[in-house]
Amino acid sequence: MNTSLRTQIAVTAGRLAAATSRTLGRGEGMVVGGKVTLRLAPLALADLAGTRVAALVSATNGKTSTTRLLATAASQAGPVATQSTGANMTEGVLWALANGPTGAPAILEVDEAYLPRVLAATKPKVVLLANLSRDQLDRMSEVAMLARKWRRMLEQNPDVVVVANADDPIVAYAAEKAPHVIWVAAGQAWTADSSVCPECGTLLGRDGTDWSCSGCGRARPKTSWQFEWEKTGIAVGPDGQRYDLSGLQLPGRFNASNATMALAVCAELGLDLEKAVTLMNTVTSVSGRFATVDAGSLRIRLLLAKNPAGWSELLDIMPPAPAPVIIIINSNDADGRDPSWLWDVPFERLRGRTVIASGNRRRDLAVRLLHAGVDARVIEDPFAADADLPAGTRDLPVVDCAATYTAFQKLRDPSNEEMAL
Amino acid sequence: MSAATHKPAASTTHGLSPVRIVSIYPTLLGTYGDGGNVAALSHIAGLHGVPVDILTISPGMLIPDDADIYVMGGGEDTAQVAAANALRASGALNRAVDNGASVLAICAGYQLLGHEFPDADGNASPGLGLLDVFTDRLPKRAVGELAAAPIAAGIETLTEMLTGYENHGGATHLGAGVTPLALVASGVGNGDGTEGAITGRVIGTYLHGPCLVRNPRLAERLLGWAVGRDLDPIVEEAVEELRRERLGNAAGTPRV
Repeated sequence: MNTSLRTQIAVTAGRLAAATSRTLGRGEGMVVGGKVTLRLAPLALADLAGTRVAALVSATNGKTSTTRLLATAASQAGPVATQSTGANMTEGVLWALANGPTGAPAILEVDEAYLPRVLAATKPKVVLLANLSRDQLDRMSEVAMLARKWRRMLEQNPDVVVVANADDPIVAYAAEKAPHVIWVAAGQAWTADSSVCPECGTLLGRDGTDWSCSGCGRARPKTSWQFEWEKTGIAVGPDGQRYDLSGLQLPGRFNASNATMALAVCAELGLDLEKAVTLMNTVTSVSGRFATVDAGSLRIRLLLAKNPAGWSELLDIMPPAPAPVIIIINSNDADGRDPSWLWDVPFERLRGRTVIASGNRRRDLAVRLLHAGVDARVIEDPFAADADLPAGTRDLPVVDCAATYTAFQKLRDPSNEEMAL
Repeated sequence: MSAATHKPAASTTHGLSPVRIVSIYPTLLGTYGDGGNVAALSHIAGLHGVPVDILTISPGMLIPDDADIYVMGGGEDTAQVAAANALRASGALNRAVDNGASVLAICAGYQLLGHEFPDADGNASPGLGLLDVFTDRLPKRAVGELAAAPIAAGIETLTEMLTGYENHGGATHLGAGVTPLALVASGVGNGDGTEGAITGRVIGTYLHGPCLVRNPRLAERLLGWAVGRDLDPIVEEAVEELRRERLGNAAGTPRV
């Protein structure tokens, strides 16, 4: 490693700060450690990255899962530096580089707003751009504004190979001027945030997954990778080679779509694609997503649900009515302060069952469900032994629990004894 | 939890014709859950036994000028300009207002009802002129809970505190032809201590939330105008709990 002495010292100081933070019980310490390192060595990120960053992954939804699939697939060539949690801002990226296997190729997820500066500093070979939709509008730019930032980023970094989802018009707009783009037909389940052309504002014409703009002539790019879905997924490479994704353990159409995009990145990295599929099949849960955990008196399957696009996918994989589900809506900083997006989620699809509404915005959720005609029970702590759960809930082998980010993190943390929200 | 405290709705006295509600360009103007306003009108009308007919307008569709209530939400800059241009070309909303219709416009929708508003580059873009206001930029974007006390000169029958969430960069300046809807108790609103604007039955506001979900009395005002009589408030406990939580101690503050 040719990291500068300054960076090495800064990383050591960061580790100390992180250890202190852990000792004090303030979490895993990555963010604190990363902050200390960056303060002492502002160029540490570029220094630690060197030329070893194979790929960055960004999207509104699915970046943690996609990164895990890709990093696991890439491990066929040896150790990989990647995040073990979803810490995906500058500090989290830095931490993964500083504390992962020394000198190993890195595959990193990056927050969509932080991507421009992280990409400029780490110079990845490939960047995977999967989807952009509304999320945390109090923090993020509006969607079109974010796309313009990505577009400028790719203009300023012409050497990076872009693997982009052609079915998302906002992503296509961001990537279209880049010199090297591998277009993937990865699908787009949520179209509400890309109804108009991000360039000229004309309503986009749509026909299946095809889209075009009558205002400026922009249209869905021709794709070299395709994704097919019928209960299970199939990825089709540029040469017509078909990759069966039915062995994936991560559920749902969206994870198969994520795997297809990961496979397209593997191809650009010169990896064996059959081996990549076999390795992706070994991924069971990602940083707690889809994991089954004990929570107080219940056994729950944890689902991360933080915006309408993510929700539209999750509603498909929930067991049918009348199985009760738990929904926890928080509005802490990391969740986004404004939960009005609840009104864009088709909760009507949960009719016929009781929803246990929890989280610090449980009252917003209860009103949303009232309007949706869904029976709701507002419970501050559904995992308490004396929680007034719907009859039979405690007899179920597993209950789906969809939670926003901070509630999700709390539930997945095994060291957390107390399940209070 | 359908625990609505139903006061007996005066059964269906509206006769045969449903209240016609038009949702204008939700694909362009619906970024912040504002679709909930139409859902709330429908839900609350149902509590009162008032039938509704909801028409959702996409760009390119003809906008009727003989409906009762027109609803517009917030949106991104590019979409806002596109919506304003389409509405100006159509002229239907201006004709509908002349015909006595009411309009509820939120955030970007509010701004485009005025004389002008800033586009993505900060240049002034023409609005519909239905409200005597113009919008330029706030020094700092307004993001957070917004609570405002309605004023009698705005909507006389509206007395309960208004609650919502604002997320905008616009400072809206009110001319002589409008009255503020409310005075800001906490948050930014128009940027000068007032919140929203009203003239006749045309209402603009920065209250997302969605607005009519958190402020059912305002929904009843719009529906009351449409049926030609004041609707007695129907209180739903789940909504009141949400209002109390959001307003905190500000709840119940008497009208200014």
